[in-house]
This record gives sequence, C-alpha cells and structure tokens, in this order.
Amino acid sequence: MQTRVLFFGKLKELAGAAEQSVELRSGATISDLFDRFAHETPALASFRSSVVASRNQEFAPWTTVLEPGDEIAFLPPVSGG
Amino acid sequence: MTLSPNDDLVFLGRDSIAADVLIRHVRQAHNGAVVTFDGCVRNHSHSRTTLYLEYEAYESMALEKMHEIAASLHTLFAIDSVAIAHRLGRLEIGETSVFIAVSAPHRKAAFEACRHAIDTLKKTVPIWKKEFFEDGGVWADGELPPVPAATPAAKPAS
Repeated sequence: MQTRVLFFGKLKELAGAAEQSVELRSGATISDLFDRFAHETPALASFRSSVVASRNQEFAPWTTVLEPGDEIAFLPPVSGG
Repeated sequence: MTLSPNDDLVFLGRDSIAADVLIRHVRQAHNGAVVTFDGCVRNHSHSRTTLYLEYEAYESMALEKMHEIAASLHTLFAIDSVAIAHRLGRLEIGETSVFIAVSAPHRKAAFEACRHAIDTLKKTVPIWKKEFFEDGGVWADGELPPVPAATPAAKPAS
C-alpha cells in the first residue's frame, strides 16, 4: 500500500525532505508510519510528543488505520499569526 | 483567495495583505461595527533582536482550517461577515503577517468573534514561523493542535 507522507517546519528539516512516498503493509497505523521514519532518523523519535498527524488534511489520532492513497502529514506545533 | 458560502474572504499567500480591501469586503450598510486584528512582525523575541521572519504552511489544509474558523464565527457570534488573510514566505519587521476583519450589527459580537478567530488560528491552522536572528534561524515555539479522540476499533488487535 502506497502512502504519501509530508513533513513541515522543523520536522521537514529533521526528515531531510518535505515529501516521501512509502510502501506499508495493510492495516498499518499512523503510529506505525511515524515509527518507520523515527527508526531511520532517531532525531525524529525524540520529537514524537510534539507532533500531530493529519490524514487527508484532517487532524487524526495516532491509531488511525491507513487506507490506500492516503496523504499523511506530520506537523510540529503550529505557530502562525 | 477564495470565497465561502457566507461570502467570507479567506486568503493565504505571498503577496502583501491589502487591509483596506478586506475591510471594504466585510463592511456593509447593515453593520454597526467592523473590528480588525492586524498581526505584525515584531522586531524582537525574548529580548533578542529579530531580523525577519519566514512563514510556511501546509497550504491546502491551512486554507481549509481558515475557512472552518470563518464558518464557525457565524455559528458562535451574531456577526455579518469575515475576512481572514495570512502571509507566507519572508516578512520584514513591521509587515502584516495576519489580518482579520469582522463586521456585525453590534460591536460586542464583532470584538468577540475577531478575538476568537485569531486565538483559534494560532492553535489550529498549520502554519509555521521561523524567526531569524543575527546568529541564524529558529522555529518559533507553537501550540499543538487538538486532535479528535480515536474511535474504538471494531475488535482488538490479536
């Protein structure tokens, strides 16, 4: 299952790319997806408690099960205004 | 720049914000008040001198969240019309980064709605600010948006 993953702000710098595409097993959750990146980039792991995820542009809990074609984004604390 | 069903104006982009256009958009004959919020780039942060700021956004989601804020104001307050604009890219000291205008028949609702709009924007819209000082850039501290609770799984994982 192919999933498009976006990183923003500080997370983009840590992940080294704004956008990646990953292949995941069916039934994988947003948490599984983050763990995959955190395993490759340990600096991301230490930020997990300061990250929220979105699925198809809606904030989504870590336990959300991914569907084919989902657009997932990992977002650091927002600081607009 | 996009218009909502309520004829609210929502803008997210790199061009400078034309506050007068936003005010004219919300101002109508049946209003008794127009309240505006002008968020501008401050020349310091925690006693350090700020040189300039850079804003980035998850643009499609940010625009959607800004529309949600505008729509929610009509539900929560007795207002007429809303305009919300946020800049992206590099902003110099003194420039407007965010501008909100709310019109209403009476001032109380306009004040409250404008305050609610900027407070909600700062908590829920996926926009990030990097502050540049003489010794480099730092992502500003922000707020973690609230996330809806997980819906219980149909059956526990085995």
